[in-house]
This record gives sequence, structure tokens and C-alpha cells, in this order.
Amino acid sequence: MNTKFSVVIFVAAVSLAATHVVRAQGQAPAQTAKPVTTLTSPVTGNAVTGKKLYYDHACYSCHGFNGETGARPFVPNWPANLATERSFTAFLRGRANIAPVQPSTSMPNYPVESVSDAQAKDIYAYIRSFKSAPPPVEKIPVMSQILAAAKKPYKQ
Amino acid sequence: MPKSSKLAVNRRGFLKGAATAAAGAAAIATHVPESVDAQTQPAVGGRPNTPAPPPTTTQLERDAGAVRPPAGGNARAAVRPGSDLMVQVLRDLGIEYVAANPGSSFEGIQESLINYGNPPNVMPEFITALHEESAVTMAHGYGKATGKPMCALLHGTIGIQHAAMSIYQAYYDKTPALLIAGRDLGFIAAHSANDMAGMVRSYTKWDATPKTIEESLVAIQRAYNEAITPPCAPAMVVIDIDLQKEEAGAIKVPAYQPPKISGVDPGQAREIAKSLLDAQNPRIAVGRLRTPDGVRLAVQLAELVGASTSTSATQGPMSFPQRHPLCGPGANTSYDYTLGLEQPGTVSLTGPSLATLLSRDPTNIGFGGIAPGVSRAGGAGRGGRGAGAPGRTVDIDAEASLPAIIDEVRRQMSPDKQRVIQERSAKHATANQTARIDALTRALEQRRAGWDASPISTARVYAELWPLIVDEDWILASPSNFSGAHNAQLWDHNKPYNYLGGQGAGGMGYGAPASVGAALAAKGRKQIVINVQTDGDLNYAPGVLWTAQHHQLPMLTVMHNNRAWHQELMFVEYMCGVRGRGTERGHIGTTLRDPFIDYRMMAASYGMAGEGPITDPVKLGPALKRGLASVKKGMPYMIDVITQPR
Repeated sequence: MNTKFSVVIFVAAVSLAATHVVRAQGQAPAQTAKPVTTLTSPVTGNAVTGKKLYYDHACYSCHGFNGETGARPFVPNWPANLATERSFTAFLRGRANIAPVQPSTSMPNYPVESVSDAQAKDIYAYIRSFKSAPPPVEKIPVMSQILAAAKKPYKQ
Repeated sequence: MPKSSKLAVNRRGFLKGAATAAAGAAAIATHVPESVDAQTQPAVGGRPNTPAPPPTTTQLERDAGAVRPPAGGNARAAVRPGSDLMVQVLRDLGIEYVAANPGSSFEGIQESLINYGNPPNVMPEFITALHEESAVTMAHGYGKATGKPMCALLHGTIGIQHAAMSIYQAYYDKTPALLIAGRDLGFIAAHSANDMAGMVRSYTKWDATPKTIEESLVAIQRAYNEAITPPCAPAMVVIDIDLQKEEAGAIKVPAYQPPKISGVDPGQAREIAKSLLDAQNPRIAVGRLRTPDGVRLAVQLAELVGASTSTSATQGPMSFPQRHPLCGPGANTSYDYTLGLEQPGTVSLTGPSLATLLSRDPTNIGFGGIAPGVSRAGGAGRGGRGAGAPGRTVDIDAEASLPAIIDEVRRQMSPDKQRVIQERSAKHATANQTARIDALTRALEQRRAGWDASPISTARVYAELWPLIVDEDWILASPSNFSGAHNAQLWDHNKPYNYLGGQGAGGMGYGAPASVGAALAAKGRKQIVINVQTDGDLNYAPGVLWTAQHHQLPMLTVMHNNRAWHQELMFVEYMCGVRGRGTERGHIGTTLRDPFIDYRMMAASYGMAGEGPITDPVKLGPALKRGLASVKKGMPYMIDVITQPR
């Protein structure tokens, strides 16, 4: 198998984040809503079912297993598309008409035949269970060591 | 000229049959120790397998090169076989290692490698590879770590074809390698051809099929010189088995003449030196040079003229030290003159591209990025010139040009200029250090995301590694592009060989064998090699782990085990989405599950110590410490880490 060089470009591009949605020719304009750090909208889906769906549909491949790593993390800076169940479902559906043939910056489309409305709510419930609480840099000894090493004088 | 008269049997079958026969004979004639006998397992059908006898002390010493060739030599077919002289040529060239998977068409050279000279099997040392692709990729990794060729032996048509992918990658990567292919016209017909090098001619720099011993010796020297002359690339010599076995008599090994690599002429050197010295804020953009000496000269020039510099050291080897006080944007980012060393600039010194070798592609295969107009991806790629470079390009090797430019700078230097340069350099140093700390602070803030996550974040893998190796002499030999490339932001790449960069042509199966090649270079230089190994990549030819263990190489392998060919998973998921047919089957053909692969067990089966799979991030740091302790003692180590996808 040969790996494509466009990989990194593509990876960098696949996104849930509305701020990263790229406008395809003649298609919907990019959204510009700002991300939020706290979501309070109602959650009605089943997170346990949603976890299986998150894995089955390989959502983790771009967003990490916890939503905070990978090509397009969304925790803790939640994009506007994840503000509510409704906006999330609409976002999943809205990809069909803007997905170009070439690998691009868009995430896959999820039509109702692939992910039902109820399943979308379950996935949303699982996503909303993600909590990101990494320690601050100064509380991570390794990171303090990295910073300290960088401050040492350069030795040839 | 003696001719081989072997039975025409399949090579692998022949070797297997011979081994079985030998083992059988030995079982009859040799006492089998109880412990070995106890390991005998019943085979299918109820008959016990016959264990191979353990090696004798003499055999082990011979394997280790500790046995001198027999004195006298009257019984030998040739007192001074041609292959002894060929090995002497390799010795004179400073070839440290010859990697090969054994093949009958080079048995003469192999015998000379392990028995000729005093001590034998040293400089070069025979490195046992389990696949020709591994052997050549070892040479690829070694070549990038040192800037000089390692040798790989290839058996006939089949060995060359096994090696083809690796040759292709080294070619794209403009990395020197010396390839010697054995040909045995009297043995298996399918293993020979009239023009064996023709199979890889379009992606090697030079080749020859000499007809005499004398021609063979010259051809090896020429191939070496071609490989290290820009554009650097693999070069191949095909040597018939008969020439290897033939009595050389009074033939002398020709004296080696290194190649003359042209740099800028005196007028150009004068002009460049003047521009650097007259500029208020000169800059030197440093790309990938050929050798560590080129890097040393680039540093010398930058310090002489007080220029801020850019570096490609975070993308690959042989570039400007990242933490050097002059490396960075500098105190003033309005540069009035930029000298590009294998990089764009006001004046760019750029050595010949692979496109200059297109005459070796007469059927116009037209490799993308080298042949014009092939790729839709745009740009000329690594092999080509690169698009959109501003300024004037001088088609000449940068490294070879540096001595003349440095001489001219010294000649044109005045005390006034020196004073200005010193002041400017001090300002650059302060600004660059501030910029570096700012960038690092931002990078750390980004990379703490998912710090405690399980599976373990790739950023944490690189972050945990850095404090453990920062004071070591290290080589990161595996490409980091599929693992987040966190080294680029978190680590400092100050030595020409710190990071060896990508695969060359983006082909998989590269990381482990390239790391083994780098570890060969590291072994005698008190260096250690880090191999952050993607799982899909390792499974192409994992037998290279055995080579690392067998030759006791200082290589720490840390698995970036996301249990997938992850990039392809994303591509397929994307395509499923575009076509609206559901993404839940995107894992088919793109993931490594059912069952998961246990890489610690894999390493253990090759005799390598290791641990894992590790899923708890807290356990990662201690495991890395144990691994490095092993590697610093000269023994490879494997840590299987279950990671986030990227």
C-alpha cells in the first residue's frame, strides 16, 4: 500500500468545527460562529449507545477517542454545530451537498439512512459526556522539564 | 573461468531443503541435548519435528567474526579470489556495513566479507537482513544519519525486485546508497537477466555490469562516487559470481579518488560574500545539505556574517541547528538579502535535482514530482526544483560552494563590519531565544490536551520522551508525520542527524528498517536511536527487529499503535460519506483488529526485550526510562503503546 502525500493536508482539514468548514464551489458559505466552552442545552439521547456509534462510525479517527486530540478536537472549545442536538443533527445531514469529489476539508456526510435522528441524539449524548481537564502546563512535570531545557544555554 | 554447475531448483526451496537435510544429518550424527529434545513438538500427522542442533562454539565465534581465515590456503580454489579485492575496495571506501539477505549469486563476496582481512567481518561488517527491502532501507536510514553510503547486497533478479521499493524511496530522498547485485548465469535461470540493473534503472543514479575483476573494482568505486555526488542517490553494480570466485592473481586494487563536486566560481563567491556583508539584515535559509560537514560550514558562514537563519532540521537531516542563537526569525524580520542553501532566497544555491537524471527513464515512466507535468498535486516535489522560488537560482551544490564563500567573506571583512555583525548577532540571539520560548509555551499549551487520556495521546509520547533524551546524542529515525510531528515543536534538533525525516516517497514499511540503519550508524558513535513506530508500517517487514536484536543495536521502538492504517481509514470514511452510503463499514480493510496485534510478543519472538501494551498514560514514562536504560547498554527495546489515532 502506498500512502498518499495529501494525507496531512486532508487530515488537517477534516473537521466538525464550523469555523473550519470550507466552502466548496457554488456551495453553502462557511459558517463563522465562535466556539463555546460550556454547553447547557438538553441532552435526550443514550450515551452508552452513542459510544458504540461513535466507534462504529469511526468518529474517533478525526476527533480522538475523547474529543480532545487528533486532527480536529472539539473539547473544550465546542463549535457552534455542537451547541444543541438539533444543530448537530443538521450538521451531519448538511454535508451531502457540499462534499466535493476530491478529498477535501469536509467531514463525511451522514444521511438519515446511515445515522438516524435517534442515533444522532445518542452520539450527541456521548459527545457531551466528554470532559477535558488536562492539568495546567506547570503541573505537568515533563512539560516543566521541557521548558527548563529550552531555557538552558545552547551547547554546540 | 570456472562455471557453476548447480541444480536448477527454486532458491528458497533449495535453501530450505539444504537446511532440512543438514538438520536431519546432524540429528543423526550429533547428540541432541535433553533441553533441546524436550522442545520437540509433535507436528501435524503425529511425527515429531526434528530440531536443528545448537550452534557449536566454533560456529558462534565464526558468526561473530572472531575466527581468522585458515593459514596456508593451498586447498582453496582461488588463493586470491576476486571478491577479496572487491571487499578491499569497500574497506578503502570506508563502508562500515553491508546488509544482505543471503543469496547464492553473491556467495563469493559474502565469503570474503566474513573471512577476508584481519580481523575479518569488520569494516565492513555483514549485517543479516530478513528481506532485501529491509537491507536497502537500512542503507537509506544509515545514509541519512551519516551522509555517506552503506552497502546492500542483492541476489539476482529476485533480490533486486524485493529491494525495488526501498531503492525507489532512497532515490526520491536523494540519499546515497551502494548496491551490489550478484548474478549467477549458471544457476537458476529466472534469477538472472541480461540487464539486471535495468529493472531499477529509472530510479537509480548509475549502474554498471563489469566484465572483469578490474572493471568490477573500478565500478564499485565509481558507484560510490556517483552515489555521493549531487543529486545523491543509490547506484548499483551487478557482479557475476564467476568474477567473485575467479583468481585475481596480481591484480591490484586501484587507488580511490574522491569525486570533485563543483561549487560556485570565484566571481560568484565574491558577489555572494559582498551581498551578505553589505546587507543591513542578511539571512541564510538552510535546507537539506549533503553531509555534516556542510552543516558545519553553514554555521561558520552564518556566524561570520551575523545572519539570522532558517532551518529544515525539523523536517529532515543535515540542516542548521535549531537552537543555534542565530536560528530563528531574528531581531528584524525585514531581510534585505537572503542566501538560500538548497532553499529559495534572493540568491539560491541549489544542487542538481533528480530531473537531471531523466535520461535514465527512456521509456518515460515519468515519476511524479521528477518528470515534468506528471503530478496534479502541484510543485516539483523533493526530486524537483520546487515552484515559485523568488530570486535568482544558481544551479550548483550549496555545500560545495560554502568554502569559497567563507573564504571571500573573510577576505572582504573589515573591523567596522565585524563590530556591526557582533551587535547584530547578539540582538538575533536574544530575539530568537524569546521566539523559541514563546513558540514552545504555545506548543505545550496545545499539547496538554488529552494529557491523561487513554488511549494515550501522541503528544504525550513525544513529550515524555524528550526530557529523557535531551542530554543524549540521539537520532529520531522514524518519520513523525503520521504521529503528530510533535518533535518539531517540542524537541530541539541541533545535530545534523537528529531527525531523519520522511520516507522519501511516502511508502510504508520504512520506519523500523530505517531506524535499524540509523542504529548501525549510532552503534559505534555512542548514539541512541528513537523509533516511534506506526503499527501499519511495522507489519510490512517486522523481521528487521530480529536484525536489531542480533546485532545488538541501540534502538528504542515506541509503538504508535492506533490499530489501523489510520490515514486510509479517514479516506475511506470520507468516501463513504460523500456517497451517502454509511460510514459504519469504513473499518473494513483499514483497521488492524480482530485480533489486535501484540507488538511486545512480536518483539519477544525476535528475542527483543519489551513491554506493553500500555494504555495507562501514567505508566508510559517509567516504561520509557526502562527502555532507554536498555538501549544505552546497547540492547534494543520495544514498548507497545496504545495511542490515540493521531
